[in-house]
Amino acid sequence: MTASPTFPHARHESPNFPLRVVDGLTLPAEYRKALRPGEEWKDGNGFPRQLPRYFYEIPSWDSAMKVELASHFLLWEFIQVDVREAAPLRTFPRYVPCAITLLAVCLERFREAVGTLVHISANGGYRSPSHRFSKNATPHAWGTAANIYRIGDTYLDNRSAVERFSLIARETLPGVWTRPYGTPTGYAEDHLHLDLGYVISVPRDVKS
Amino acid sequence: MPSKETISPDRPAGTAAAPSESALKREIEKIASESGAKAIAVALHDFETGFELHYQADRWFHAASTIKVPILLGVFAAIDRGDLLPHSRVHVRNRFLSVVEDIPFRVESGRDANSAVHNAIGKMMRVDELAYHMITTSSNLATNLLLGVIGPQSVNETLRELKLEEGIDLKRGVEDELAFDKGINNLVTADGLLKILTMLAAGKAFSPALSRRMMDILHGQEFNQGIPARLPKGTRVAHKTGEISNVAHDAGVVYLPKRKPYALVILTEWDPNASGRSRTIATISHAIYEALTTTPTDE
Repeated sequence: MTASPTFPHARHESPNFPLRVVDGLTLPAEYRKALRPGEEWKDGNGFPRQLPRYFYEIPSWDSAMKVELASHFLLWEFIQVDVREAAPLRTFPRYVPCAITLLAVCLERFREAVGTLVHISANGGYRSPSHRFSKNATPHAWGTAANIYRIGDTYLDNRSAVERFSLIARETLPGVWTRPYGTPTGYAEDHLHLDLGYVISVPRDVKS
Repeated sequence: MPSKETISPDRPAGTAAAPSESALKREIEKIASESGAKAIAVALHDFETGFELHYQADRWFHAASTIKVPILLGVFAAIDRGDLLPHSRVHVRNRFLSVVEDIPFRVESGRDANSAVHNAIGKMMRVDELAYHMITTSSNLATNLLLGVIGPQSVNETLRELKLEEGIDLKRGVEDELAFDKGINNLVTADGLLKILTMLAAGKAFSPALSRRMMDILHGQEFNQGIPARLPKGTRVAHKTGEISNVAHDAGVVYLPKRKPYALVILTEWDPNASGRSRTIATISHAIYEALTTTPTDE
């Protein structure tokens, strides 16, 4: 592994957020191939979307367990991917789009509204465009989508639960999109999918 | 320890006593006729003597959960290729697509004897954990998760590469009721399963180390009402059962003290309301044990 290209001045100073920002275009080839930084990718309707270029670098699982993205959300909760993720992205250092912080803030607000723990499923936070689940552009590859499989003791595997919490999400988070309950493509029946759309975050220290 | 066991090639013919094939077949026929089973098939390979028995062994049966043995082989093929690691993580999600029009279905939690996999929904489990649950408690959820990762096509390719495809017909995952209703089922013959078990026991599936790991998992089997039920204390059996409304099977390798093991497959088919399935399998298993461990008599 070569040293990760970073922006010397693009390091957050907070002791709780020690992650470096990296330009995906300067990463080694295997990472660029998997992350496709800045590339265009079509969504399910054929509309082109531009993938994120800037990422936070996560040096280790230990750091992912420690970094708070919001009061009740640690970084590790957003990066649980299984064997379907591209191999270089299953080992550390890992990379996550900078917009992940926006998602975390929204989920914190959602958690306040539901008043209990919000559980993000495996493969349900950030996953790369090379993940085997990623057929078309999905906000998961922007770090702005979450699949929530459980809230408190309630599993979101039935219409009643999914629709109830979907409504709370939409009332709580202006502009959020939730996947309707159902089995066809574009629907969800065993989790609540919510996303902020194809949001790209470029930290202001980045000079490009 | 099972993991230390390796089997040298079969002893040359004539150096140990082999049972009478015709007498053993007559015994199986007698048990079959008394049991009320609609069909029974038996395949046997004894590593001690080289003796083999093939009774209706090319007849196709609904595989039920014995199909998990070929799937286990497919998982370890992926490990052997480096596509998976034993500790690779798999998202535990209870949603699968039927081979009939890709219609989603779920595995009922009440159908799995072990709740460990269902309790991990939303989280991840390791490939080796799922393989263990797939075999030892016959977890259908674990089975479909593993098959979802490697794909049925990959399992079939592995069977072809190992020249084991004859007698194994894998079409889908388990609990795909729509497929069942349309007659799209996984099928096996006794000979088909015997070839896999013989290869595993001989340490010839990918490598001796990987074969041993698969045998270790099969040794963890928790359902022991079939082949092991009437065998002497101290006998160890690495095996996989399978049962649905109209079939009951058991397929495994029997390790007795002071002799090489034998691989045995017993497949049975029944009317849905029939009883005595496990007892019949256990009786056949005992008859084979008796035949292999007592001096044969002239016919």
